[in-house]
Amino acid sequence: MSRQMTSAAALAAATFAAPVAAQDGPLTVAMHYTQEQAAPLIACLDGYDAAGATAEYSQISYRDYLQTVLTGRLGGQSPDIYNVYSIWAAQMVDNGVLAAVPEDVAGFVRDGYAAGTVDAATIDGTLWGVPTEVSVYMLVSNMALLREAGIETPPATWEELRAAAEAVTTRNDQGRIETAGFAFADSSTGAGVVHPFYALTFSEGSDVYTDDFAEANLDGGAALAALTREAGLVQDGLTDLSIDAYDFPAGGIGMMIMANWYESAIREGFGDAFDTDVAVSAIPMGEDWKTLQYAFFMGVDSASERQEEAWALVEYLNAPRDGGVSCMGEMLEGLGALTANAADNAAMEAPDAFTAPFLAALDDGRAISQPNVMQAAEIEGMMAQAFERAMAGETTPEEALQTLDAEVEDILFEFY
Amino acid sequence: MSSVRDDGPSVGAAPWVFLAPLLIFVAVFLILPLGFSVWLSFTRWNPLGTPSWVGLRQFEYLLTRDADFWRSIVNTFVFAFGFVAVGVPLSLGLAFVFSRARGKAVWRSIYYLPQLTNVVAIAYIWQFVLDDRYGAINRLLGMAGMRGPDWLTDPGMALVSVILVMIWYDAGKNMLVFSAALEAVDGEIYDAATLDGAGPMRTLWSVTLPIIRPAFVFVTVTSFITGMGFFALVLAMTGGGPRGATEVTALYTYRMAFEDLRMGRASAGALILFAIIGVLSAVQFRALRDRA
Repeated sequence: MSRQMTSAAALAAATFAAPVAAQDGPLTVAMHYTQEQAAPLIACLDGYDAAGATAEYSQISYRDYLQTVLTGRLGGQSPDIYNVYSIWAAQMVDNGVLAAVPEDVAGFVRDGYAAGTVDAATIDGTLWGVPTEVSVYMLVSNMALLREAGIETPPATWEELRAAAEAVTTRNDQGRIETAGFAFADSSTGAGVVHPFYALTFSEGSDVYTDDFAEANLDGGAALAALTREAGLVQDGLTDLSIDAYDFPAGGIGMMIMANWYESAIREGFGDAFDTDVAVSAIPMGEDWKTLQYAFFMGVDSASERQEEAWALVEYLNAPRDGGVSCMGEMLEGLGALTANAADNAAMEAPDAFTAPFLAALDDGRAISQPNVMQAAEIEGMMAQAFERAMAGETTPEEALQTLDAEVEDILFEFY
Repeated sequence: MSSVRDDGPSVGAAPWVFLAPLLIFVAVFLILPLGFSVWLSFTRWNPLGTPSWVGLRQFEYLLTRDADFWRSIVNTFVFAFGFVAVGVPLSLGLAFVFSRARGKAVWRSIYYLPQLTNVVAIAYIWQFVLDDRYGAINRLLGMAGMRGPDWLTDPGMALVSVILVMIWYDAGKNMLVFSAALEAVDGEIYDAATLDGAGPMRTLWSVTLPIIRPAFVFVTVTSFITGMGFFALVLAMTGGGPRGATEVTALYTYRMAFEDLRMGRASAGALILFAIIGVLSAVQFRALRDRA
């Protein structure tokens, strides 16, 4: 009996001691980068020791990130620090998952980051974290194909883009497109057609939502013009929906509107010809072009019992080290990714010809943040389906946008 | 008046003790999740917050306002009926042919191989085979001067493609069930039928099929249930596209729950699908059993 009592007491002690031990353990930083990609950051975490507070890295796959976070929180096992994709942020904030940024960290962000990117970490005027990786969309052209078609410079207007695409497109004996003038990316989230749509709508001088997110502007003239442009490329045979912009590195696609993070795949595909045959240029919408940027940011879990220590670690990871790049900057530079951290950009080597236009779009304020709206992923999935229906000719752009606007406003009505 | 019943020695709690592991398993892994799911279907809940009771609103939304849900139901029926209507006779035919073939164990093993392969790997292999531009089938057709179908990008063809791959994937399993049933038929019955002048088709129709009807009922009902609820292949092969053409209800509710974080609505969708499968399976089982 006494042995049973002893065992029960030991079990109870272990059960209640576990959370205490967790409080004293290392701060956990959960990101989607692999151990290899995050190696510079992990080295910083391994060496971190601020008044006894240590840190460790936890990898969660990008695809399962939000689900893993949710499951972890339900089980009372959440990391101290997240790397949040900005379109998840509104829901995380609405449900009290994220802790508000302390004033000193907020000052660090406002003073040191491009304003458009600070917007990505801002919900209803409140900043919720420190921006990390930024992605920007630009026109990427295969100049070898364009030159073959007699075009020496990337198009600067949509009409020029259509003319270039027409000149590049070839078909085989069965009528299938062999070399495509343009391509949209086939991504599971729908980003391949939705993100270029954002860029075109912004270039038309409009936003996709009203400022308070109470209404969508999808039934407006700018959205119609943007979708008509996208659909026109398919309807007029300059591309089709079976052609995937992710095949651009294989050399059979003339142009695409793509984010900077795809550079390494393109570089690998083009090999030595990369520098001469790949050009990055403005969204071809004339002088007033704008584009889309989306960002990740580091936020702290509101349930963390060591928020102050967690914010100190976030700032440490993103602050310059002896005038050099920050730990985060070193990791992003290694990945070929962009940052909006001005100190990091000043300390890094000059960007290559591919990256420079993306950075310039950030610096010039041309890159507008993806809206931090509730249910953003759900809405973008609906957008993708509606846009593809219009592109395939199953409906007109007007009808597609009218229906979509009503469906999206149904969702907005739930939350705003 | 009194009577004395002799119930033998008292067994006390012993049966319950032995049953306890199974009962606990059923309670924890079946009854509790099902009950939780039923309760969730009357709430609005994303797992970041706390559920709020909304009564029948999730069912009302799905059944009266959500066109995509109804489209997914239609896709599910087309998928399940296509799978059963083509897959079951094909499995039976293969079992029948191989029951008389040399090296039947080898043939059966070959046709069972897809079942041993990860369904995601199968989806990727068939994506390569069916790709509109670079796929093996359209390349071969192109060499013959023909333009192949848009297997995965045309909405109608995409659903057909997924059904065909599902049939290919599952045919071996059902073939084994039919093979076992065919092997169990007493050879003397065939001898008697032959003596009575029955030809091969007559023997198949009047002797073999009635005898193996229990296996036929089993395969038909289980295939139908599989077809109504299966979505892993669709998720990996087409992701429900193009434009929702292959989005079956199980995939639609999965997305609702884990991508859109609408657990209440997803539970309601899953319950509607559960009810449809339950009713149709019961009807199917009764109809086929009565005929037997």
